[in-house]
Amino acid sequence: MTIGFLFFVLINGLSEGMVLFIVASGLSLVFGVLRVINFAHGSLYMIGAFLAFSLSTLLNMDSLFSFLLLMILIPPAIALLGLGLEIPLFRRIYGKEHLLQLLLTYAVLLILDDLCRVVWGGEIRNVSRPEMLGGSIDFFGQYLPTYNIFILVMGPLIAFGLWYLLHRTRAGNLIRAAVSHPDMLGALGVNVARVMTGTFMLGCFLAGLGGVFMSALANIDLGIGMQKIIECFAVVVIGGLGSIGGALLGSLIIGVGIAFIQLPLSRLAIVFPYIVMALILIIRPWGLFGKPER
Amino acid sequence: MTPSNRYVAMLPSKAEARKRILTVVVLISLLILPFVLNQLGKTGEFWIWVATEMVIMALFATSLNLILGFGGMVSFGHAAFFGVGAYTVALLMKKAGFPLGLALLAAPCVAAIAAAVIGWFCVRLVGLYFAILTLTFGQLLYMLAFQWYTFTGGDDGIHGIPKPAFLGPINYYILCLLIFLVCLWIMKIIVNSSFGLSIKIIRENPERARFIGINVKRHQLANFIIAGFFAGLAGGLFTELNRFAQTEFLHWSKSGDAIFACLVGGMYSFIGPAIGSTVLIFLHIFIQQIHQSLVEIWAIFLGLILLGVVLFAPEGLVGLYDRIFRKMPE
Repeated sequence: MTIGFLFFVLINGLSEGMVLFIVASGLSLVFGVLRVINFAHGSLYMIGAFLAFSLSTLLNMDSLFSFLLLMILIPPAIALLGLGLEIPLFRRIYGKEHLLQLLLTYAVLLILDDLCRVVWGGEIRNVSRPEMLGGSIDFFGQYLPTYNIFILVMGPLIAFGLWYLLHRTRAGNLIRAAVSHPDMLGALGVNVARVMTGTFMLGCFLAGLGGVFMSALANIDLGIGMQKIIECFAVVVIGGLGSIGGALLGSLIIGVGIAFIQLPLSRLAIVFPYIVMALILIIRPWGLFGKPER
Repeated sequence: MTPSNRYVAMLPSKAEARKRILTVVVLISLLILPFVLNQLGKTGEFWIWVATEMVIMALFATSLNLILGFGGMVSFGHAAFFGVGAYTVALLMKKAGFPLGLALLAAPCVAAIAAAVIGWFCVRLVGLYFAILTLTFGQLLYMLAFQWYTFTGGDDGIHGIPKPAFLGPINYYILCLLIFLVCLWIMKIIVNSSFGLSIKIIRENPERARFIGINVKRHQLANFIIAGFFAGLAGGLFTELNRFAQTEFLHWSKSGDAIFACLVGGMYSFIGPAIGSTVLIFLHIFIQQIHQSLVEIWAIFLGLILLGVVLFAPEGLVGLYDRIFRKMPE
């Protein structure tokens, strides 16, 4: 095992971690504002990935343009789907018992996952990478897939975009105010329900975007939603629920950790998120970045 | 006393009487059921099997409700103890040659030990974090069973568990029913004991419970172990019914099934989870009988039922029954 090969594994792990961050930040953001853990978040990600598959088959182009089209069209579509879920369903359970919230989102997961099975079937699919991103780059004698590099560039851009949105725009101010002082925000004449809907849609947007990136990174099947939601749980447990910076760190830990464990012990790789999650919850249940609730 | 007052005062006793009659009727029909079904030949045998599964799953759901409904602790890892019980029976009977009775005694005890270890970590956390940690431990056990081929048979599971000759379908149904009723009776005693009341106080107001001198964590742990004990027994009975144990028994979707049963039946009543579990299993098989392909989209039906219950009847079927027949003012 050369240094170059280890570097290759690191790049793979980092790019998986970046996709995970995009999805998990959506989950964390939604939790921060709505105080609801959305079990169906992984299903929205999966629908994004499958939509990318269908659309790319329909377009039948390998150009960078068609991939950009996927990136532009699908996340808003998932956000709209989120709107369709939030108004009739999620909105009615804010502030209720944890159990009812969890079960409502779990019910949505059951329905969405089965709808995916009906629409796309059980086969393993993949989306061909656009020609420009399909090759590999020679990096000190080690060939790195261009697509992974592309994701490594896009990840931080999206993280920065999210940071900018949350900290430098009015919409972001409203979202952050809704996290810390929802009642005060309402008293100031802001339509808090609309801020919540907007946040939920933003979370779904991120899930869809993650799905598009994942569709060309690895094979997709009906299990990826469930797998991703568990990884997302691990990420938000590591980083603390509601913390975006924590989500970034958590995603990289999980992504790189899985990539390296996969080398010697491929069977242990799926256990890794659970072990990390259990350790953190036992030692520091509020996460590395979060604060104790009580 | 004004007439309207007397009317209200009379109602509970009337409802009480109706409840008692209903209980007796249900018990008698449960006992007669297999003998009636046996007259139907092959389909009857299938339905006896279904009825046995219903009884076992009712025990599983009721055990979960000790922590979920009465304790207010959302566990997504209860299947772990069901699975531990199942594998205990499977391994003891298949590999160590234990008789059924001993294996069925061991199953809940081993499950209780597992619950003690897992619970010791979990009860330190509250709310969502408790839910995620129970889910995590459950999944770790699932993966352990999945990967440890030499011991658990991995994803093949353990097949061909011996069946004592005297245990025909009817006899096994009666055995499960009797065990279920005894367990139900014990759990009822636990729920109504001072321990059970402490558990309810902790659910309502843990801080206040602490002030009046209740050791919250120790009570929760004890409750967790008791729930694990009965779940293990259910798992053991289920393994003998199927004559195999498989990793699915440990999976969190199995925990989900029990949670749905509690929610649909009504988790703030003692008998609700058993009713919910029975109704859901019946619906599943009913849909299968209408058309085989409908099973493929069972999750959609289940999801819609859950949505309906969460949004419109969070007290479940028992709550609906109370609303219709007692007409108690809010």
